[in-house]
Amino acid sequence: MANNVHNFKVVLVGEGCVGKSSLILQYIENTFNSSHITTVQASFLTKKLNIDGQRVSLAIWDTAGQEQFHALGPLYYRNSNGAVLVYDITNESSFPKVKVWVKELRKMLGNDVCLVIVGNKTDLEKERHVNLQEAEQYSEAVGAIHFQTSAKLNEGVEDVFLALTNKMLEQAAKQRSRSETLERQGSQRRNVIIVDDEETAAPPTSSKQCCSHS
Amino acid sequence: MAQTNFSKIDEYGFQRSKNFNYEVYGDFMSQYYRVLARRTKRWEELKDSEKHKKNNTLKRFVRKGIPISHRTNAWMIISGAQLLREESMLTYNDFKQQINNQTIIDMIQIDLPRTFPDNIYFSNESLLPSQLFNILAAFAHQNNDVSYCQGLNYIAGLLLLATKDEEATFWLLKVLVEKILPQYYIKTMSGLLTDLDVLDELIKIQDPVVYKHIKDIGMPWAVATTKWFVCIYAEVLPTETVLRIWDCLFYEGSKILFRVAITLIKLHREQILEARDLGELVVSFKGMAESPNVINCHKFITDIFKIPGSFSKKTLDKLRSKHQQQ
Ligand SMILES: Nc1nc2c(ncn2[C@@H]2O[C@H](COP(=O)(O)OP(=O)(O)OP(=O)(O)O)[C@@H](O)[C@H]2O)c(=O)[nH]1
Ligand SMILES: [Mg+2]
Repeated sequence: MANNVHNFKVVLVGEGCVGKSSLILQYIENTFNSSHITTVQASFLTKKLNIDGQRVSLAIWDTAGQEQFHALGPLYYRNSNGAVLVYDITNESSFPKVKVWVKELRKMLGNDVCLVIVGNKTDLEKERHVNLQEAEQYSEAVGAIHFQTSAKLNEGVEDVFLALTNKMLEQAAKQRSRSETLERQGSQRRNVIIVDDEETAAPPTSSKQCCSHS
Repeated sequence: MAQTNFSKIDEYGFQRSKNFNYEVYGDFMSQYYRVLARRTKRWEELKDSEKHKKNNTLKRFVRKGIPISHRTNAWMIISGAQLLREESMLTYNDFKQQINNQTIIDMIQIDLPRTFPDNIYFSNESLLPSQLFNILAAFAHQNNDVSYCQGLNYIAGLLLLATKDEEATFWLLKVLVEKILPQYYIKTMSGLLTDLDVLDELIKIQDPVVYKHIKDIGMPWAVATTKWFVCIYAEVLPTETVLRIWDCLFYEGSKILFRVAITLIKLHREQILEARDLGELVVSFKGMAESPNVINCHKFITDIFKIPGSFSKKTLDKLRSKHQQQ
């Protein structure tokens, strides 16, 4: 088991221009490009990690943030193990959009998907328009980890993906043990069913007798 | 080496990519210059009556490529933009006067510096970014279903680079979005979702082996081809190739997009079949942009009318209504 590579799919979502592409570029290629182009077509990059001897391969999906492209969302977040929901701390409207995404992802992917909420552009702290405490409280309430980053200065970027990966590993372990228990329960239940069959086989005869008596 | 003869910036102001294949390009251009010169001469000889109305001579001429000097006028006519302008109650200036919605303005402002940042004509000192703003904002205010949608910035941007004419660009954008292309840019993107399903069916028929390979890997078409439709190949293929595609698109309509898609996939089927996972598959699709097959735009345009075989508007309409999104 330890030698297996864990393949995780991660999707980045959030309003247009919050810095999704920049975060990925910084994480994978260690660069920042202030004249980065608008994402129209979702793209896909991979990153290999080794966490305490566990090999992990992340398939990271960058999506388009603009409203219209929301319609394509399901194509990209299908089967995701984790999602990074990004907002821009200087843009008030980008935070409610995170809430919309949380609802949609929970509804479509269930509770097993690991969520991280990220407030990006901390280098522009002076222009902050999203309250940090509020964002943290909300994140906690929906079971997401909250982070702050600056894709520009490469602050906190690594931590986001590390924390998410750890969470996905935990989740994978949980799922494994859950399915093992299920298997055990399954075989037990099969035994029970056999017993049940014998038990239920008996009463009818007696009830029949009972009925015929009356 | 051919390399030294070509600048790192193409004739439309775009930086050539790092892996740009100067050798292939050089070989191609040495013959294409002659083609261009001949086409220009032929266009000069076209009678006005042939230039100003759709007819079979013009259609043939368009497929062979419209010379730069004739492009704006020809596009205006064959696309119906000219007619749209003549029949409109409002002039472009009137439309510009209506720009007042701050949300729309902000949305477009965000994308201006992110549109062709490496193109020399879109650098700060140039007029083009403000013209692009006017076009996109005027368009957004007069079309509530679309308003502004990303992708339009690339289309209008390239129209502007090709025509160097702000007003013509506005009408061409309007006719493209409202008459020529399906509902790609509305809130639900229903036209795009439909066309992705149509492409799926077409590839299944045209190349079942490639189709199965893509299905086995599990790649949704949207992953590789959203931009093909939404940007009508701008920001995807080399500039000259895109403009040659647009020549045909303006004349013959949106079925051209499928001709191009099928041709791209069939010409690059070896690379596609070599890909072993989703990552490699996405890379093989991206690689199409730089392949000699598409750099030679003259040959590529002949290919799009040969390789997919016959493909009528009727067939397309039928497929589209079959896959209509609810
Ligand atoms: N100051 C600052 N600017 C940033 C930061 N991250 C991104 N930006 C800038 O914000 C703009 C948008 O960044 P993108 O990475 O393109 O945003 P996106 O979320 O991918 O946008 P869409 O592709 O439209 O959805 C760009 O001009 C970036 O240079 C940051 O941490 N600090
Ligand atoms: Mg982006």
